[in-house]
Order: sequence, then structure tokens, then C-alpha cells
Amino acid sequence: MAAGANADTAAEVDAHSDVWVFVEQHDGEVAKVAWELLAKGRELADQKDEDLVALVMGEDIRETDIPQQAIARGADRVLVADDPIFEPYRADPYGEQFRHLVEQRKPDIALIGGTHTGRDFAGRVAVPTHAGLTADTTELEITDERYEMRRPAFGGDALATIICPNHRPQMSTVRPGVFDTPEPDESREGEVEDVETVVGEDETLTEVLEREVGDVADITDAEVVVAGGMGLEGDFDPLWELADLLGGEVAATREAVEEGWIEPARQVGQTGKTVRPKLYIAVGISGAIQHVEGMDDSETVIAINNDGNAPIFENADYGIVADYAEVLPELIELLRERLDDTPEVSA
Amino acid sequence: MTDGWNIVVCVKQVPDAAEVSIDPDTGILNRADAEAVMNAPDYNAVEAALEVRDEVGGTVTALTMGPASAHEVLRGAVAMGADDAVLLTDRAFGGSDTWPTSLALARAAEELDADVVFGGEETTDSSTGQVPPGIAAHNDWAQLTYVEDLEPRPDEDQLVAKRDVEGGYERVAADLPVVVAMEFGENQPRTAGLHRKIYAETDFEPVEWSAADIDVEDEVGLAVSPTQVGGMATAEPVPREQEKVDDVEEIADQIAEVL
Repeated sequence: MAAGANADTAAEVDAHSDVWVFVEQHDGEVAKVAWELLAKGRELADQKDEDLVALVMGEDIRETDIPQQAIARGADRVLVADDPIFEPYRADPYGEQFRHLVEQRKPDIALIGGTHTGRDFAGRVAVPTHAGLTADTTELEITDERYEMRRPAFGGDALATIICPNHRPQMSTVRPGVFDTPEPDESREGEVEDVETVVGEDETLTEVLEREVGDVADITDAEVVVAGGMGLEGDFDPLWELADLLGGEVAATREAVEEGWIEPARQVGQTGKTVRPKLYIAVGISGAIQHVEGMDDSETVIAINNDGNAPIFENADYGIVADYAEVLPELIELLRERLDDTPEVSA
Repeated sequence: MTDGWNIVVCVKQVPDAAEVSIDPDTGILNRADAEAVMNAPDYNAVEAALEVRDEVGGTVTALTMGPASAHEVLRGAVAMGADDAVLLTDRAFGGSDTWPTSLALARAAEELDADVVFGGEETTDSSTGQVPPGIAAHNDWAQLTYVEDLEPRPDEDQLVAKRDVEGGYERVAADLPVVVAMEFGENQPRTAGLHRKIYAETDFEPVEWSAADIDVEDEVGLAVSPTQVGGMATAEPVPREQEKVDDVEEIADQIAEVL
């Protein structure tokens, strides 16, 4: 039964402390956004003079180095919920276990990666705990001892500041790629604690029949991103060739993903991923605000589009108004010559 | 079950995203300038709801929360083929964030004795994606999000979904009642037939429920919303060189320089 909607008291707000980060893992593979959140969480916990607590759920977690990694990446304490019920992921057992821990230990704020998994179960914690849940935070800071979360609204045209003055905990999903991941410090020390499992298989509402996950392309980590949009009409081959040459990754707009030209993991933008490479080459991309939002942190942006009025040129450092089918082969050839001349920069 | 499923589909009236403007002086959104339309992903939700009804039988009821003008999105859903529609309308709902919004929808879904509740993946105005999981959480029902495809199993009171997950997909069986968030663009929403359109516009009247009708009058609205909007700013564009060149050679130069 969900908690009532009566506002928490000031004392209730004061009773909450510590920064929690959910460490998302599937089959022992940690989602990189968890490390990004630990780095940001460390900063926040230091500012508030509180602990940073990592929460990991799964099966045989103690046999992996995930708890130690979480400490190396900033956690003071790691809570491990280890049970076969948590593998593979399901919203109902994850939500129920997380809810129990939140109610028992009263964190001030809990950060969860804005992945499909994170966005799937965050609400199952926030509803029964009556937490304020902010979606897809892109900026997070403490002002006057209060968390301010900023997130895009109206397709990225506006930035809304979300506050949570009277309720604890506060929760937020945070997009992958928004915060940096510094190198882990293996000398850091922390505590690892096993927590009691509070959900039973007979109470679950869902069953995973099949799970097919391949090697996930990680465009958020690439130094060079070559992205394509509708202007390509499905012809991504020259983009792969250029990305290979530059040691980068291929990405795409939502429309190109929806056309089935490329897998969803490579989608950049409001509903996809945030990338921040040194170089972003936008090919046949008109530059809708939803897309620009996901690539605006790129250091240098180059646009290739045959429509000179496309908004992408306003969001690019250098642009050429031309047909990609003519530009790319020539560009690839020119770059191949140059990179051959100076192999040390081809990284 | 022989008499089919009670299917509820949640839709939302949103300002046409392409037409929302921001006052450059105040940074405030001019929602009023934009035409009110059905949230784009909700078309996929309505289509999925109708397909499931066509397969297992039963009824589809469109549900929304909003002002009286939100009749329009319900009529849109009825024109597509929904059998009935309910509008949750009351000043008490004003200022609700996703917590009370999903509570009101959850109570209405209970009232409608729903077996399956559909929603779009997220809305184009708020983009939180929190309402479908919120409905499921309030009612302690199963949930299936980022759904690409559905396989109803009426004999087992289950709905099986293919879900998009990072790097692949999974198939999950959920016990009824279940809340489904359809991934945007995963099906081809049907167009409304002319007769159905005329019926929806002229003869059809949605049922209206107040907050008291679903017994949530003290649990909705701004005062009980855990999150508040502390400010709204225009997103500042990142300054760019915006230099157009004529020659591919120059593009190659710039790339070589960055690398």
C-alpha cells in the first residue's frame, strides 16, 4: 500500500542524510553511468559532510569486484542486496528492495542512472516513499544547503530547476554521459555490508522469459563521434568507414534509429544518450533541438548537410553545404593521406 | 476469461512541441501560443490498446486528466476506435507533479476495473516517463516499459512483452493487471475512419470524474506534489564558430587539427 500524501514535517526532512547512488549492473557488467554518479555523488557528499553510499543488487555480487570498485570510485559504504531474485533485473523486486532500504536508512538523496532500467524502477521507489523524483537531471548542485536539479523541458528549449523542499528522500534519474568519470583510486577504503532480502519469488509479478543482449556500443565514451540523420537515407556505410579511420564511434538521430538504420544504443539526443567527444561530425542531420541537446558538450562540431538553412549549422563550428555522398569519400581519402603522414595522431 | 479485457489507455493533451515559444525577456514558456494536440507517443499506446482488444476482446477506455478542453484528446482516441472515455477534471488536480498525477490515474484505472493500462513512453512536454511506472507502483501492479511488441495470453491472465533494453531486448511475462508504456514509434497508429470521427465529434460525450469521485481530493495538487519547479530558464546555446566552408579540404584540415 502506498504511503499517504501528507506532507513530511521539517523534522522528517532533517532526519534524512547521506547521498545514495544506485550501481546498475547486469551479469556483473556495471553500467558506466553508475561510476559517473559516484563521482558526482562524492562531490555532493563532501559538500554536505555526509557519507556516499553505493547500492548494488544482483546475484553473487560478492564474487565480483563491483563492491571494491564502488569504493575505489568514491563510496564510503556499499550495500549489497545479493539474491537470485535480482538477476535478471525486474522492476518489482528491485523497487520493493530499494523501497525497504530507503525507508529503513533514510537517505537525503538517491541518484539512479537514466537508463531504461533506472527509469523503469525509480518510480516504484519514489511512489511508496513519497519521494520527489526528478527525471533526466543534467545539472545537479547544492545551493543554500538545498539540492537543485536542472533538467531539460519542452524538447530541450527550456531548462527547468526542480526542487524538493518538503519531502525526503529526493530522487533523480541522471542521463548517462552528463558527469565525468575520474580514474578509480584503489587505495580508498570503505565498508561493504550485505543487506537482508525482503522480497520473495512468490510475490513477484513478472518473469523474464528471454534476454538477448549483445556487446553494447558505448558512444558516451568516444573521442570522435560520426553521427548520421535522415539525410543519409539509410546509407551509413561511409560513416562507419570515417569513424573507423578516426578511431571513433558511429551515432545517429532518433529518426534514423526509428527507421531501423542503426541500433538504439547509438542514439544521441534527448531520448538517447549525451555524448561529449573532442570531435562530433554531424552528417545529414538537420539539427533538431532534441538532437542538439545530446551533442552540445562536444568540443568541436563539424556539419555536413546539403540544406544550407539546416539549424545544425548554427550549432556547428565548421560546416559544409554539400551532398554527403560526394563529401564523405573525398574527406575519407584526404584524411587517410594525412593520417598516414602523421600516424602518431591517429590514436 | 471469455469476455475479454478491460483495457484503459492514458492519453495527454500537450502543447504542440514545434510551436511552444519562450518569451526572450522573461524566459517563460508561451504555452498558449501552441495548439493543443495528443502527445505523440500516446498514438502508439492507443494503437497497441486497440490491437490487444482486437485479439482478446473486451473494451478500450481512454483516460486523461486535464481541463475541460482535454475532451479533444479523448475524442481523438474514440475516433481511432476506443469504446469509451473518462476525463478526470477538477481544480484540485492543478499543479500536480507525477506523484499525484499517477495516483489519480491509478485510482481511475482501479475504478474501471482495468486488466491492462496503456500509456506512451513519455510526454513531449515533460518527458519524465514516470507516470506509467507510477500508476503501477500506486496500485502495486506489474509494469512493462519500453515495450516494442505484445503477446496477450488471456488463458493465463498474462501479457508478454518484448521490451527494449540497453544493447538488446528481453521478453517479460507479467501477471494482470499490468501497466504498459509503449515505446514511441513501435507501431503504426491507425487513422480514424470518417464515420467514427463524426461520432466522436458530435455524438460522443466523455464521462467526467472529479477528485472526490475517485476519492483523492486530499492527495492531489501542488501542495502534495513532492517536486516543485523552482525556475525555468531558456537553454543557452553553446557558442560555436558557425563557419561555413566551400572546400572539403578545409573540413579535413579542421578534423586533422582537432585530432
